[in-house]
Amino acid sequence: MFLTLLPEITLVVLAFVVLTTDLALDRQSRAFLPYLTAAGMLLAVIFTIVFALPGDKPQLIFGGMLRHDWLTFVFRLVFLFGALATVLFSAGWERVARRGEYYVLIITSTLGMMLMGASADLVMLFLAIETTSIPLYILAGFITEDDKSTESGFKYLLFGAMTTAIMLYGFSMLYGFSGSTNLYWIAGALMSGELPFISMMGTVILVMAGFAFKVSMVPFHFWAPDVYEGSPTPIAGFLSTASKAAGFAVIIRVLLTAFPLEAFGGVDWTMMMAIAAALTMSVGNLIALAQTNIKRLLAYSSVAHAGYILMGIAAASELGGLSVVFYIIVYLVTNLAAFGVVAVAERTLGSNDLEAYDGLSRRSPALALVLLISLLSLAGVPPMGGFIAKVLVFAAAVEANMVWLAVVGILNAIVGLYYYLIVLKRVYLFRSEEEDKPVPIPRPSAVALTVCLIAILVFGTIIAPWFDYSGIAAGALF
Amino acid sequence: MSTDVILFLGLAAVAIGAALGMLFSRNAVYSALFLILNFATVAVFYLLLGAPFIAMAQVTVYAGAIMVLFLFVIMLLGAEELRKRGKLGWQQPLALLLGFVLVAETAYLVFVRGDLVSQIVPAAADYGTPKDIGILLFDNYMLPFQVVAVLLLVAMIGAIVLTKDDRKIERKTSEEKA
Repeated sequence: MFLTLLPEITLVVLAFVVLTTDLALDRQSRAFLPYLTAAGMLLAVIFTIVFALPGDKPQLIFGGMLRHDWLTFVFRLVFLFGALATVLFSAGWERVARRGEYYVLIITSTLGMMLMGASADLVMLFLAIETTSIPLYILAGFITEDDKSTESGFKYLLFGAMTTAIMLYGFSMLYGFSGSTNLYWIAGALMSGELPFISMMGTVILVMAGFAFKVSMVPFHFWAPDVYEGSPTPIAGFLSTASKAAGFAVIIRVLLTAFPLEAFGGVDWTMMMAIAAALTMSVGNLIALAQTNIKRLLAYSSVAHAGYILMGIAAASELGGLSVVFYIIVYLVTNLAAFGVVAVAERTLGSNDLEAYDGLSRRSPALALVLLISLLSLAGVPPMGGFIAKVLVFAAAVEANMVWLAVVGILNAIVGLYYYLIVLKRVYLFRSEEEDKPVPIPRPSAVALTVCLIAILVFGTIIAPWFDYSGIAAGALF
Repeated sequence: MSTDVILFLGLAAVAIGAALGMLFSRNAVYSALFLILNFATVAVFYLLLGAPFIAMAQVTVYAGAIMVLFLFVIMLLGAEELRKRGKLGWQQPLALLLGFVLVAETAYLVFVRGDLVSQIVPAAADYGTPKDIGILLFDNYMLPFQVVAVLLLVAMIGAIVLTKDDRKIERKTSEEKA
């Protein structure tokens, strides 16, 4: 049983090792810390694959606190990969590169996400969400001498505290209705059919408030642009990928297990999620059109992508679950690459305004190429992974008789393409006076960007294995 | 009257008195001390109800740790004395109204719908003993228990990280001035 938890234990040990070596080293040799962290995370990845492989049957472990199944497994790898890339981007970002506490916070936050993906109990789930969020609040406000970063950390904290309180109220209702905190018990109690529709739907809405905040679903998206803009750029990338993936892992598990569709009459939460999906992608894409700061643009674009993923959840079918997992994996590598480029470019350009990106292709062809591939993948252009991911969520919506939702999604994809192309136009067609000054790419960032780039192309061209893996992962829910 | 009822009435008088004293005291430190008295009395209520663990947690966590923190904050901020007239315009009547609604609802439940109150089954004698809670904590809830430890460590690191730099900057600027 402890072997299944070995990746998490590795992370706890790694956090302590980083924290203590940070004390022992002098300022110069602290540049070694990100590599230590990355090595530890790589070890956790290996342990996950070698020792923590789930069996044929999903099992509840640690007194029903965690569920050890393929969904847990896949999301563990997703979070570890996101953290690994974030650590490598941070190594080249001078203001945080030598701060031991920074890496400890990333490690503990990843630990929280891994527990979020596995939680099968409300107590465990709440603690996992807090273990994820509290380090992220601190990381967002990490650069204390920068007012924007402080503002971003504080805003994130206040918004998070409020939605967590609403979510906890929902949890208490669930416990009151069922007399248990275990998701599978709760499902049984709700299935008894003695609960009025209004109290079940009310509980879904209360519980969803906390999860919606994590994935920046409309109307809980207001924090995203401000927080992304102010926080250290690698952290903004982490927030928009791994943290969001953790939120979706919780949403699909809780909605599909604790609130089975059979427990509701004709009207259930799928309609609510479909409307939320349509609103989320429309709001995100339309506001993104007006942005002049690349971090804010990517923030609204990530709100829009939350909308696409919600389509798969609204379908509440096996194909829906598969499309959600596939989309999250592709979105993870794509958005990490995009934020990685911003983090690298920021060091030389000194600004995140879109104007600063004029003529980037002449200053660093490699960086411009990564930005091109990742933005086209976000827009959903073949042969990038984003195209397949979009096809799958649209197919899930159509299969679930929500053709209108697929149409809204396709219209939104066109709007999205427009603002991604505006960025690329600046990068490739515009000239600037500083064209002769190259933009150097730090070695660790280059490694992470290359891996992301290859992954985007592989997900878009060799589809079958990833499709199958996503299917197996989502199959753990049905 | 049994000793339980006498004890309850005496404690209730103390608890309500302490709560009123907390509300009406104009000195924040006195208010905090009244609140500690109130918490301690409530802890004795828990003991009377046969919940020793909650009683001890109430004393150590609320009356102990949290209130000491409150007192520190009050004294550090120098907010002992309240102003004579606070800016409470519309809040006061609203608070009165809501308080009245709460009392009316409780009275309705106890006196009119007495059957609901009598339905409450007293817990088994050994329910919620420290031993049971300990076993549960290190058995079913071991993992959450450990995760809380990590969470508290992170909160501590965060508090240090977010406050450390300010002081460094202050020191630097004061050195420059000198």
